[in-house]
Amino acid sequence: MATTGENSRWQHLDKILQRNGPFCDDSFTSGNVEEILGRWKILVIGAGGLGCEILKNLALSGFKDIHVIDMDTIDVSNLNRQFLFRQEDIGKPKAEVAAAFVMKRVKGVKITPYYGAIQDKGENYYMQFNMVVCGLDSVEARRWINAILVDMVDMNNPESLKPLIDGGTEGFKGQSRVILPTISSCYECSLDMLTPPTAVPLCTLASIPRQPAHCIEWASILEWPRVMGEDKKLDTDNPEHIQWLYEQALERAKEFNITGVTYSMTQGVVKNIIPAIASTNAIIAASCCNEAFKIATNANPYLNNYMMYTGNDGVYTYTFEHERKPDCPVCGNQATTFEAKGDWTLQEFIDRLKEKPDVQIKRPTLSTQRKKLYYQGPPQLQEQTRPNLDKKLRELITSGEEVGITDPGLPFSLRLNVVFD
Amino acid sequence: MVSSGTGQPNAKEKKYDRQLRLWGANGQQALEASHICLVNATATGCEVLKNLILPGIGKFTVIDDATIAEVDLGVNFFVDAEGVGLPRAEYTCKYLSELNPDVQGSYINDSLSNLITSDPTFISTHGITAIILCSPLPSHLVHTLQVMNPDLAIFHVYCVGFISSLRIFLPELCIVETHPDSLIDLRLFNPWVGLLSFAKNATRDMNAMSEHQHGHIPYLAILLHYLEKWKEEHGERLPGTYKEKNEFKKLLLTGMRTDVAGGIEENWEEAAAAVLANVKPHEISSGTREVLKDDRCQNLDQDSDNFWIIARGIAEFVASPDQGDGLLPLPGGIPDMKAESQDYVKLQNLYRQKAASDLAQVAQNVSQILVSLNRPETDIPEEDISLWCRNANHVRRIRYRPFIDEWMVDIFHAKAVYSDLKYNPDTLLPIYIALRAYQTFYDEYGHAPGQENGKDDSAELLTHARVYLSKVADMLKLPEDEEFPSTEVLRALDMWCREVTRYSGAELQNIASLTGGVVSQEVLKCVTRQYLPVNNMVVVDGVQSKSAVWEL
Ligand SMILES: [Zn+2]
Repeated sequence: MATTGENSRWQHLDKILQRNGPFCDDSFTSGNVEEILGRWKILVIGAGGLGCEILKNLALSGFKDIHVIDMDTIDVSNLNRQFLFRQEDIGKPKAEVAAAFVMKRVKGVKITPYYGAIQDKGENYYMQFNMVVCGLDSVEARRWINAILVDMVDMNNPESLKPLIDGGTEGFKGQSRVILPTISSCYECSLDMLTPPTAVPLCTLASIPRQPAHCIEWASILEWPRVMGEDKKLDTDNPEHIQWLYEQALERAKEFNITGVTYSMTQGVVKNIIPAIASTNAIIAASCCNEAFKIATNANPYLNNYMMYTGNDGVYTYTFEHERKPDCPVCGNQATTFEAKGDWTLQEFIDRLKEKPDVQIKRPTLSTQRKKLYYQGPPQLQEQTRPNLDKKLRELITSGEEVGITDPGLPFSLRLNVVFD
Repeated sequence: MVSSGTGQPNAKEKKYDRQLRLWGANGQQALEASHICLVNATATGCEVLKNLILPGIGKFTVIDDATIAEVDLGVNFFVDAEGVGLPRAEYTCKYLSELNPDVQGSYINDSLSNLITSDPTFISTHGITAIILCSPLPSHLVHTLQVMNPDLAIFHVYCVGFISSLRIFLPELCIVETHPDSLIDLRLFNPWVGLLSFAKNATRDMNAMSEHQHGHIPYLAILLHYLEKWKEEHGERLPGTYKEKNEFKKLLLTGMRTDVAGGIEENWEEAAAAVLANVKPHEISSGTREVLKDDRCQNLDQDSDNFWIIARGIAEFVASPDQGDGLLPLPGGIPDMKAESQDYVKLQNLYRQKAASDLAQVAQNVSQILVSLNRPETDIPEEDISLWCRNANHVRRIRYRPFIDEWMVDIFHAKAVYSDLKYNPDTLLPIYIALRAYQTFYDEYGHAPGQENGKDDSAELLTHARVYLSKVADMLKLPEDEEFPSTEVLRALDMWCREVTRYSGAELQNIASLTGGVVSQEVLKCVTRQYLPVNNMVVVDGVQSKSAVWEL
């Protein structure tokens, strides 16, 4: 069906898609919206602050077949920016409400929601899409989808390469990037650009707290399991649980003459809350969708490959090419070298590993070709390998030996050449 | 609005939690008192309002005389098929209002030009805080609006195809909470007696200390201890140059014990890491100096804004040898550092007490000033003075140039354009110039330049661009033989003029949404008087995924 003409709602898009521009390269073929975008099937991961914007933008960019995955339900604190949700939607799955809203407003677009985790799906599922746009707030989920998409690339099948466009925000700042799996720098290649979560040593929490946050973490990490036992899990969405933590933290703070513990801070610390506003989500989501649109239409060159935005002081963007890491555990082909001291205990080694910004693991299981160093589970193996934590590295491995590390959060394993200096 | 922080949040705090962490209760209060007006409910315009209604501005008004056409459905999320043929102001107002029941929306189904004639005082009678103009609009209309309302915050937006621009005019803006990366000021070169004696105590007989004690000396004490030592060895001089700071770092690391578990001591490493950023004299920033020297700080009267009265109290504090003696009041915060709880709290209290006593002196200055101005001495809440003191080295006063000076190409404008075109190899000014040419074209024909009906307007656009650049050259009296603009700039201009005509005035949802985000961030900063808004022009380049700002 032709879509040009006075009565078409796609007149704006068609004007641009039907004409060559001075910045277009040879790959641009003019046409109308439906000819060019009709065959694209696109996956959106996340239906939150970025996701709501992404769905709206893609629908109004002429994409017709969109899928969306999100495992969350709507919370009252989403309403200040997730504009597809209303008070009466609280408690419903985000993916479903968002998809229904956009389909109602924009006629002719088909949005298929999936209420669940990305890990529920496998390569077969991801293979059906031409492109993936990510609006997530979790590093773990991003690493997972990135690794899957890199792994799916089959050099003999160009269709297996799915561009991944990723956005993230914090307050007035954000970034968007384009990843061509195995071709350009992947999410894992740039992991060290994230500030690693400041892990406060347990001994600080246990015996020398100095900050209100130390008291709050003490309450949630040490005091909750001690008082409540293993069976009662901490639910950070339960106000009564937060209230309990707040009271414990406040009490502890008093004991050490520390001031500044509030309910809001308690919630912020235990839920790792990142400040968020509609404006920044709009900027980053639109930037991602603009790149998706350019990739799909060739109407202008797409981002190569990273843009940072900050609005704290005026408006500042920095656009650059992030380089691939040859020793990237996901897309690289060299093993990473990790310098350690033979005198470190295995526990110390694990602590250092956790601090390293380009590793970022939470519950690592470690082994070498010849022995199991430490296993998180099953309980029997954990029991059996736990004594190794207090042994020195040189008693367990030789300098230069390869240590394999897996983590339940990651769909790949890290291989480190551990060298003693 | 915000409860004391001791109990669970109320309904509003829950809903706005993620933004209150950015601008606090005072920012939210300012937001809720604002009335934002949008002229032309284009996709971009509606996106701006969406991002302002969600966080809870007080009121908004949509002004537009257009009726919804089929083409709106393909780009604007706040219209749908049922609305075709209906007034765009009224219809978008309905859908925008649904975003937040706390916000009061209204509309005027009329054009700005009619409104300016029929109700010339509508800005003040409606109590409008800021107005967002979505182009195209005739340039004389924009200038008339500004001349009639010289104190109105105006955000003038162009959004076409892959590019957009935002020109801001605000009445002079004074900002206390600029939210720098850190408010910490350790005053290592200007320690007071109490701080010095703390450092002395904490570093006494270090060699005799146990491993635990030595590994828990707060790094501030380590730095102060070695600064004293350095002074002894360098005739009372402190490490100033980069080289000296590195030597100082080496000096203090000689005190670190390496025969401990792990081979290093964390607190000593923290001390070494803090040298480059913190071992420096206290300096009053240029932004703060500008404020303290301002006429309105020097010559107060009864109607002076609280900002200036507090500024004067601070200026007197700095000038008085009995008070700051050249230094600003201490902000009072310290970073976390490895230490025993009680030592850290003691150190923290030293900074807090010094900050409190500085604040008390400033507050006293302020009440005396208030009395001298025949105002009640408690007219300014201590909270405001305290906020000023904590941010004293980061306050800013921003003045905006009126649109007409830019449009007519005054000398300031000409210089700014000339130097960016000449010295910035990645300049995005050709986009700005192409959009200016677009405006000139629109003023002449009443429609956007394009490639419709076999006619291509790009050559005409380029002519307008060249006429503008020759105005710049004339203004600067450039010598005849100077090549301006350069061939590269001309090439870029030609490309952008062709790209702009390719759009034929078309709006893309993605760029409209991105621009809506940028504009709304700037409005939020202006309304809450927090963070730093752009002064005065931003261009978004969706072709190359870049942006640029200039004062034009
Ligand atoms: Zn990689």
